[in-house]
Amino acid sequence: MTEIVITMGKIAFVLFCVFNLLYVLLWLERKQSAVMQDRIGANRADIFGLRAWGLFHPIADAIKMICKEDFMPAAADKFVYTAAPFLAVFFSLVGFAVIPFGDTLTLGGHTIHLQIADLNVGLLYVFAMLSLGVYGFILAGWASNNNFAFLGGMRAGSQMISYEITMGATVMGLVILFQTLSLNQMVQAQGEYFFGFIPKWGVLLQPLGFLLFLIAGIAETKRIPFDLPEGESEIIGYFVEYSGMKFGMFMMTDFIETILLSAMLTTLFFGGWQIPYLHADGFHLGGLRLAINPVLVSFLQVAAFGLKVFCFCWLLLLIRWTLPRFRYDQLMALGWKFMLPLSLLNLAITGLVVLL
Amino acid sequence: MRRNHQIPLGAIVKGLALTAGHFFRNMRIHVAHLFGRRLQEKGMVTFQYPEERRPFSPRLRTRHRLTMRADGSPRCVACMMCETICPANCIYITAGEHPDPHIEKQPLKFDIDLGVCVFCGFCVEVCPEDAIRMDTGILEFAAYSRQEMILTMDKLLMKEGAQEPDRALMKENA
Amino acid sequence: MPKITIDDKEISVEGGTNIIAAAQRLGIEVPHYCYHPGLSVAGACRMCLVEIEKMPKLQTGCSTLATEGMVIKTIAHSAKAKAAVQGVLELTLINHPLDCPVCDQAGECGLQDYYMKYGLYNSRMRDAKVKKEKKASALGPHVMLDQERCILCSRCVRFTHEITKTNEIGIFNRGDHSYIDVVNGRSLENNYSGNVVDICPVGALTDRDFRFQCRVWYLQESDSICPGCSTGCNIKIHFNVRRRHIAGGRRVQRLKPRFNEAVNQWWMCDEGRYAYPSIDENRITTPSARLAAAHQRMDWRDAIDQMALALREALAAYGPESVGVIASPQLTNEDLYLIKKLFVDVLGIAAVDYRMPPNRSAKNDDFLLRADRNPNTLGAHLIGLSPFGKEISTPRILEAAAGGRLQVLYVFSTDLVAVYGEAPIANMAAHVPLMIYQGTNHNRTSTLAHLVLPAAIYAEKNGTFTNYAGRVQHLKPAFAPLAEAMPDWKILCKLAQALGHDFRYADEEAIFEELANSQPAFAGITYAGIGSHGWPIEKERVLSFVTA
Repeated sequence: MTEIVITMGKIAFVLFCVFNLLYVLLWLERKQSAVMQDRIGANRADIFGLRAWGLFHPIADAIKMICKEDFMPAAADKFVYTAAPFLAVFFSLVGFAVIPFGDTLTLGGHTIHLQIADLNVGLLYVFAMLSLGVYGFILAGWASNNNFAFLGGMRAGSQMISYEITMGATVMGLVILFQTLSLNQMVQAQGEYFFGFIPKWGVLLQPLGFLLFLIAGIAETKRIPFDLPEGESEIIGYFVEYSGMKFGMFMMTDFIETILLSAMLTTLFFGGWQIPYLHADGFHLGGLRLAINPVLVSFLQVAAFGLKVFCFCWLLLLIRWTLPRFRYDQLMALGWKFMLPLSLLNLAITGLVVLL
Repeated sequence: MRRNHQIPLGAIVKGLALTAGHFFRNMRIHVAHLFGRRLQEKGMVTFQYPEERRPFSPRLRTRHRLTMRADGSPRCVACMMCETICPANCIYITAGEHPDPHIEKQPLKFDIDLGVCVFCGFCVEVCPEDAIRMDTGILEFAAYSRQEMILTMDKLLMKEGAQEPDRALMKENA
Repeated sequence: MPKITIDDKEISVEGGTNIIAAAQRLGIEVPHYCYHPGLSVAGACRMCLVEIEKMPKLQTGCSTLATEGMVIKTIAHSAKAKAAVQGVLELTLINHPLDCPVCDQAGECGLQDYYMKYGLYNSRMRDAKVKKEKKASALGPHVMLDQERCILCSRCVRFTHEITKTNEIGIFNRGDHSYIDVVNGRSLENNYSGNVVDICPVGALTDRDFRFQCRVWYLQESDSICPGCSTGCNIKIHFNVRRRHIAGGRRVQRLKPRFNEAVNQWWMCDEGRYAYPSIDENRITTPSARLAAAHQRMDWRDAIDQMALALREALAAYGPESVGVIASPQLTNEDLYLIKKLFVDVLGIAAVDYRMPPNRSAKNDDFLLRADRNPNTLGAHLIGLSPFGKEISTPRILEAAAGGRLQVLYVFSTDLVAVYGEAPIANMAAHVPLMIYQGTNHNRTSTLAHLVLPAAIYAEKNGTFTNYAGRVQHLKPAFAPLAEAMPDWKILCKLAQALGHDFRYADEEAIFEELANSQPAFAGITYAGIGSHGWPIEKERVLSFVTA
């Protein structure tokens, strides 16, 4: 019983964090792009005259989307058309179930793993969910009964397939090194040090793997420069027939996937919730020791995880607002001729090194 | 293989460095502004319209007005030169007898449909009486209906109750 | 036939032809203000100066007659003439107020035209312009005078002296102080006063009726025939359908005479000139049926069906004697021919007439206006709508109607109330089951009718009128019929088709062709033959029909 309550509490906590980060990202999308381009960005939505640097714009967006006409094409497949955005959001959200956002927290005699579900095949689970997510887009494109939407859906499908292979081959390097598929154990493993003081983070073990995973990950989120399934200037994409909150859910999916990708990058390559030299009982560095309350340590670790995720979100937005969209042949060439061979090479070298 | 399949990785990194550079520079200025520092620097090129306005060029063509004689009647003699030259056909004049026989003709109605006007300024160029000008500095006349977009003679004469010309923004009108 | 050379082109002209007229025949323009082919020569404006070989000085083209072997150089080829004309133009403009923006003549002004062609110099005047006492003032009911604009060409003076012989206008004082005005405080009040506006080359005399209504460059024009009397003066309809806010949306702005040597020369009467408001005002716009006191708007299709049903029932139950038709000499030959074909020839109705008792107050005025105020009386007669010869059968038709012997009375464009008074017509309307009025404008007869149909007015019609002298003249439509109005012939065709008769005509010309083939008086006449100046039917043929 207590377990269930604790798990429900963890789910609530994760959803709370994800949705709030989503809100912040919607705001950041506008403001960061503006600052990058010497502009101010949206700052007009106000509540009783309080503008708060445009923080209320996402609320305005939500109100607008909820109030808009919920349009459905006459020839659409009504059930699938309605289900598609829910599928997309659902599969992007469930990925968070296996992300460890902290170590263990001992409260009132209960030891709480700061992870909703510590699956021993957590990594495969995330990949499975990401793969399933694409059904949302393909079905949206198909159910709209619109050539352009269908084209967008097909593009989404082929793009997913191409880049998932690279992604899978890339993380295999980490799997070989850490000898586990559990994300929590991977993070635990990253708490060790080279020569006693350099954190043994994934990015240092697999620098090429990190780069490949980052690029493939961006492609998975279908955001610029990999937004060919949308391609507003060419086909508008799988959601061309969607309006109101259904369209909003596709947009949300994009952002949730951005967060998920950041969380994965953090977990796999940047030590997850690890803070260098901070251990359950306090601060260790060489001979230095500083005892810290374990609850405070847990808090710091969760905060560190959040900060890392946020930094990756910022990086992903930076990339999104810097690069133009690739051409389709470039996208395919990048995926199959450049990244796949490199990831296989990475895998081979890693295997060789471990074997020796 | 054709070279255009290649991804310009160097350019991508350069681009990211550029945008990130702008981001950090501007953020630094914005944060400094929060603490009241470095106010002479601007973190953006945006003008916060309508609170902040750029000065208009003295040659800018803004909303029309009809000039008046000393007694407040329009200088216009309803010769319809403006109506004739207007490429958008947005001027509608109805002429009538002026009580003063030496003026003879005056407009009974003088309507400009701003919804149709292209702001070419031909009407001002062609007017033999300097009766119509486009120097009010008024550029905000959006309305909720087509009817409201039609300026009648009263509004054009800028009598009481009409929107006042925003002359502060017109740098020393020639 | 003296042979002369103008600008290196040779031409033989009749003796007594002046140089302006001779040059005009060669297509060479000699600028002039005071000369008018319909008036005597004054030689006042000095604009028509030409250089003639072996003559030491320039000569005026208006007063110099062509003589054998004359070699003339006009302003186009003679620097001397050009310099002289420029000087004249400069002199003329010295005191001209240049108030073109408020002048109704602007756009069709001789001063503007010649200045653009021959002038365009900088003014050398340093003295102020001499201002005349009066600005604009009314000379009479139709004409406005602005003395400042006058160039003293004296055309108007000669017009009132020679054409109307009423002598209202004169030139007073001398030199710089000269001005035109009406004599002895009289008023320019004759039935041809509007013509002085046409002949005035500048904006001195303008039309009060047209004053400030519309700038002339907005006007389109269309050739037509005045329907005001049986003279059938050739006119131009000046109309504006592009800028509907002008003059309250009225389409026709003014009528102007069109030169026709055989009919009206350059002139037209005021009665005809100012009758145009009926084209736009008080028009019948939709078919309507009278229910109790008010008229109820109805569909064309329903109106035609109702007429056809009533006619069919009347003819079946009571025979052709139960139908009466009053046609109108206001209609064109084409309309009248179809009336005759449908009602007389096809339906066998005898009670068809177009004539009204003559209006005794209307008289000939010895110039253009004729007592018969209908444009096509002779046409109606020649088509054969006078079944009882000289006896006018209209009263008999109305009598039959009042006596309850008619089932259907079909009235075309004739205001019976104006002729017979309200009471008899109201009484008659009460005794006829169906009284149809098909016309252009509302009047008291249309108010009494049970069924009212909108017909196109002459300005909207294509067709022909036959004037009192037997000249068939063509009028062309200026614009489409107002609202739901239709030309009479189209309504008749629809009615005939509803009655089961195959009346199909591509256009008015097809009807006229059939008319020309079936009526001997019109034999051989075609629209092309009529042209813009009309086709005179030989007098003997007209007379033989009138007497027959």
